[in-house]
Amino acid sequence: MDAKHDVLVVGAGCAGMRAAIAAHDAGADVAMISKLHPTRSHSGAAEGGINAALGNTGEDNPEIHAFDTVKGSDYLGDQDSIEIFTREAPGDIYQLEHWGAIFTRNEEGKLAQRPFGAAGSPRTVFAADITGHVLIQVLYEQVVKRDIKVYEEYFAWRLVENDGRCQGVISWDLMDGGLKVVGGKTVILATGGAGRLYRATTNAYACTGDGMALALRLGLPLKDMEFMQFHPTTMYPSGILITEGCRGEGGVLRNATGERFMVRYAPTAKDLASRDVVSRSEQTEIDEGRGVNGSVLLDLTHLGAEKILDRLPGSRELAMVYAGVDPIFEPIPVRPGAHYHMGGVETDSDGLTELTGLYAAGEVACVSVHGANRLGGNSLMETITFGRRAGTAAAEWALANTTVEVPDAVERDAERELKELLGRTSGERPWKIRDELGSSMLDNFGVFREEGKMARQIEIIAGLRERYPGVYVEDKGTVFNSDLTQAIELGYMLDLAATMLQAGIARKESRGAHSRPHDFPTRDDENFLKHSISRWVNGGPELSYKEVRMTRWEPEERKY
Amino acid sequence: MQVGLKIWRYSAATGDRALREYEIDAPEEATLLDCLDIVKDRHDGTLAYRKSCRMMICGSCGMRMDGAAVLACKTRMYDIAHAGHVPVVSAMGNLPIVKDLVVDMDPFWEKFKSMKPWLQPGYDEPAEGKEYVVSQERMNVIHKEALCINCGCCVSECNAMESSPEFRGPQALAKGMRFVGDPRDGATVERLADYSDEHGIWECTRCYFCNERCPKGVDPRDAIAKLGAEAVKEGIDRDMGAKHAKWFVRSAETTGWLRETELVPKTQGVISSIKEMKFAMRLAVKGKVPLPFPPHVAERVDEARGLHKLVREQGKSGYDGIVQGEHSLARLDHGLEGEGPPAVELGLETKLADGSDR
Repeated sequence: MDAKHDVLVVGAGCAGMRAAIAAHDAGADVAMISKLHPTRSHSGAAEGGINAALGNTGEDNPEIHAFDTVKGSDYLGDQDSIEIFTREAPGDIYQLEHWGAIFTRNEEGKLAQRPFGAAGSPRTVFAADITGHVLIQVLYEQVVKRDIKVYEEYFAWRLVENDGRCQGVISWDLMDGGLKVVGGKTVILATGGAGRLYRATTNAYACTGDGMALALRLGLPLKDMEFMQFHPTTMYPSGILITEGCRGEGGVLRNATGERFMVRYAPTAKDLASRDVVSRSEQTEIDEGRGVNGSVLLDLTHLGAEKILDRLPGSRELAMVYAGVDPIFEPIPVRPGAHYHMGGVETDSDGLTELTGLYAAGEVACVSVHGANRLGGNSLMETITFGRRAGTAAAEWALANTTVEVPDAVERDAERELKELLGRTSGERPWKIRDELGSSMLDNFGVFREEGKMARQIEIIAGLRERYPGVYVEDKGTVFNSDLTQAIELGYMLDLAATMLQAGIARKESRGAHSRPHDFPTRDDENFLKHSISRWVNGGPELSYKEVRMTRWEPEERKY
Repeated sequence: MQVGLKIWRYSAATGDRALREYEIDAPEEATLLDCLDIVKDRHDGTLAYRKSCRMMICGSCGMRMDGAAVLACKTRMYDIAHAGHVPVVSAMGNLPIVKDLVVDMDPFWEKFKSMKPWLQPGYDEPAEGKEYVVSQERMNVIHKEALCINCGCCVSECNAMESSPEFRGPQALAKGMRFVGDPRDGATVERLADYSDEHGIWECTRCYFCNERCPKGVDPRDAIAKLGAEAVKEGIDRDMGAKHAKWFVRSAETTGWLRETELVPKTQGVISSIKEMKFAMRLAVKGKVPLPFPPHVAERVDEARGLHKLVREQGKSGYDGIVQGEHSLARLDHGLEGEGPPAVELGLETKLADGSDR
């Protein structure tokens, strides 16, 4: 072991940093491992806002927030966890503000709240359209204040299981090279999502599902893996995000004829309907020939320069740099892009997974508060509330237990795998497999799904997984070998893709983000009001199901 | 489109350094970062650089293109490629290079941490544990400083840091202003005292390179100016740079002129000024400076004094008095030559404090 700690957090985005702060404040010796410097984490790219029922803008309370979340989840969310979430959210927001978070203020000088998708009342607290950036900054400030150790640019490669507990992480040290073993009485996964499985995604290059794959390979259950949210307003061809906040401030979507088509698909909520509803509506317009070069148009021109510069300056800059369009004068071409993974490592409301000593929080986890579809603004709140809960729970357990041990066998096994990967001098370069994965996932497992395409995709993934052991790493060096880490990330993504497809093809209904308009167009509560559970058995995924935890709300028809 | 790149390859471990040229085929919308990806994937997997978000928010991909720092993900290559230009890409300046385009950011983060960059609350606990109530207008004082993504582009081009490596630098000082200007922070005076040390505010040489290169419109030089104004206002002026600024203003207010003969001893101290006597004499002989007696006062000195008084009355003698120019993000070059949307009328400072037009 190179080092050991009470609590080891893998990932240093909003969830990771909030967990580390909570663990530190609970008295534990905590350290973070991250393949990026903390402020580079993708949480910082979040734009629109963070939800809590503060009641600063009209009547609101945690029960309404909880119902909106349950309905938004298409009734697949676990209601006991959702109730905890919405009840604790306001306190967590005030804590962030007390730490100095720079949120936008309303006329009374209190925290402003903007309308967001599928929210009964405006409850999205925000900072212009750079909310994620503001949160990353305030959390990093608090990390620096507490002098919390960060193993920066350490790429997590193996979770250590020993004696029925998770006891540490083996990482590749990106700066100096070599495997490093860091022991932890508890480990918290906070590694984010896996948008990079898709060619068109809002996600950073770093979002390759590392934590999910590590947990999967250790034999832990992943929950609801087939549910990938497609954000309605991403730019072509990259998928760079234009925030829902644009619609929250009054922007509308138009098709090629200039029609505000959301009036047809969601007569009440219109452009601020739930994300899955909007993405499907856009995709339908595009598929039926009413798109413009494969996109629809996000029109902000009626908002006026002052409002855009005040509330949406980041979006304007993004549109100008990446789409060549100034939204003050012209609409922005947008289309659905892979954005947020509702599925992930199964945890309870304290972030505890099936394995003693292993916790998970944030996008990597599936509690589940988002069920089959997530509300905009709930993800940032999830990172804070469940990051705190996981950090506190992990610290409490660690302080009551004393030993940490990493068996030599685990280390030797990792070394062997590394030697094998670096040893190959010919074969296929990873980018080909990566590009084929990204394109095929977008074509066959995107907004609309159907049996034939999913079956085809399962074959494609199987073929890619067969080719993967033949990839070679060109850079054999020890210093900043991102060629190596990118090759490992590809392996993670391939395993996750196989898991997602198995769960997707088996779910014979349409619910939330999993939409099958041609073969199973309706929701089937009788047979599928249950969570998909995926485990890794003998080198492949195995599927089972688990009940949804319902406390107050029975499933109803979901209309916006 | 065909894109040519020259990239400085380097290994700190071996000391090997070489300028390599690459010719690639890239999509028309490609950024410099996209091009580096193509080089790494298809031509040379050993190329090292940092990246993550590719949308100008994480700050990972700071590097130099033709000697000036940019975010690789913000730099569209269309115009460059079509002009047939082959840019030279190298690592950021003022930081040790580890490999190729990857620099050691530890010195950068150490300076950041030296600013004590966390809120030190100095207000009564808000009612019911809720938020501190403050107007958006008041928070706008630190609007630009809050935009900083820690990319290092300003530090890369800082001329003061190049000659004095211990200078705290534009990024750290901008972060300092983020707290000095935050009404919730109670350590303003301590911070200003700390930031006014030998390698702080007054070591900045005011070259504006940081403002030029910052990809987010933070304007670190403006932040440093704000810190300086506020420090002098608080009477924190032991540093020679602070004394110079303070007496410059005093001289202008009192006499309507800048009186060098008075300014030098006030800035450097009497003993040090005596050493300058020979030089001062030569200037006097050539008629370059007025004699110290009788006192040289401008004819319309009352106008000057009136302006200074007005500034003080409006409470603008500290950071509020530093004009920040137009809204930072409005200054965007999106490559539309001549044609394109009409310029938008912007400007925060179009009205005086009493509501009348400037």
